[in-house]
Amino acid sequence: MEPAERAQAARDRVPRIDPYGFERPEDFDYAAYEEFFSTYLVILTRRAIKWSKLLKGSSSVQKSMTDMNRTFPDNIKFRKSADPCLQKTLYNVLLAYGHHNQGVGYCQGMNFIAGYLILITKNEEESFWLLDALVGRILPDYYSPAMLGLKMDQEVLGELVRTKLPAVAALMDGHGVLWTLVVSRWFICLFVDILPVETVLRIWDCLFNEGSKIIFRVALTLIKQHQAFILEASSVADICEKFKEITKGSFVMECHTFMQKIFSEPGSLSMTTITRLRESCRAKLLAQG
Amino acid sequence: MAKQYDVLFRLLLIGDSGVGKTCLLCRFTDNEFHSSHISTIGVDFKMKTIEVDGIKVRIQIWDTAGQERYQTITKQYYRRAQGIFLVYDISSERSYQHIMKWVSDVDEYAPEGVQKILIGNKADEEQKRQVGREQGQQLAKEYGMDFYETSACTNLNIKESFTRLTELVLQAHRKELDGVRTRASNEMALAELEEDESKPEGPANSSKTCWC
Repeated sequence: MEPAERAQAARDRVPRIDPYGFERPEDFDYAAYEEFFSTYLVILTRRAIKWSKLLKGSSSVQKSMTDMNRTFPDNIKFRKSADPCLQKTLYNVLLAYGHHNQGVGYCQGMNFIAGYLILITKNEEESFWLLDALVGRILPDYYSPAMLGLKMDQEVLGELVRTKLPAVAALMDGHGVLWTLVVSRWFICLFVDILPVETVLRIWDCLFNEGSKIIFRVALTLIKQHQAFILEASSVADICEKFKEITKGSFVMECHTFMQKIFSEPGSLSMTTITRLRESCRAKLLAQG
Repeated sequence: MAKQYDVLFRLLLIGDSGVGKTCLLCRFTDNEFHSSHISTIGVDFKMKTIEVDGIKVRIQIWDTAGQERYQTITKQYYRRAQGIFLVYDISSERSYQHIMKWVSDVDEYAPEGVQKILIGNKADEEQKRQVGREQGQQLAKEYGMDFYETSACTNLNIKESFTRLTELVLQAHRKELDGVRTRASNEMALAELEEDESKPEGPANSSKTCWC
């Protein structure tokens, strides 16, 4: 087909008014636009096909069923009596993810993440792809059977605290408290059910845009802000209690100020530092076996 | 400052995901029951002081995530436990079968002499029962454990099982406790020794010596 004919054909297929309501200019390149859009359509179609296949596959993820009614029992949209009941949506997303990423399958905690994605996107398929972005790309291997990435990042936080807030590190060492005791849920649930919903969503915006480093910023800010309070602890039980307390109150409720603080309070936190610490912590954990 | 208790023990709840470990704990410490509880992630704990045999015992009860992969985190807590509840759900044959696996984990990670007790929870779910009471008794006998069928929902055998495990731990620590009794008048307590012990023995930065 001649270029002129092709242009005319594209002109016939593409609407004069775009999806946002703007009239297309006289010299609008319909052919180029159509080409751009068709490549994107290919991706969308590929995803849609993948998604429908995933939903059909047989399951090794049945175990996660016990968590469906244990995900946000206090959310009316997740109740069995709700219509539509998001438990079913959640099940579909987690089931599909289990097929898609068989190395990870289902890990408790993913139900909370997927649950939030569903509440926000109100769309099964979109939630699935966002979950995949988090678990498969943005976060280190938090949810794989060995949970090595989770253990690594907890150690990294410990190292950052040792450098930036040595008094807190000394307190933890003095009582022999491993970081895993106080911060596992921060990492695994990405602050869901720990911080207020709006604050979690603001953090997630940064998480999707800037990567997993943001989790350290949030953790360090919480600890630094309440350093004096944490240092009052005189037992293991006290320390655990204080780490629960610091995730409550107006400091975390005022999400806009909180988000500004996470970029100023912890001070410099370069990706080079994080990468280096992650490497050394991972190596140490692997050596311990 | 005077201690509100004579001795501090650490108990651990383990068993498959969804058998009701957190519900048992909430019923015991707060006398609360919620039919749908949020799944436990990682490890959590609650405390309660009970009196056994004239001794005020402060118990720290560690609640763990049941999913197998969380073992990589929870096994670190086995080491300093003095008593362990092995929990299955009477309406889940699978959770009962897995007790074997949990016992072998205890053998591997918990200290020698740790006291164990077998719990068949959700005893109120009679119509869904898959594991007979005698099966529970049989298994407990095999491993030399005490056995209770409990229901956090109806508050069946909750206090009894927690008290029993605490008694067993007390008996196992009889020697140290005789010291506590004689010194009880001057407020000296094993609890203090215990707390000192919980500090790392090695250099401060070695996480290997940590107990949790």
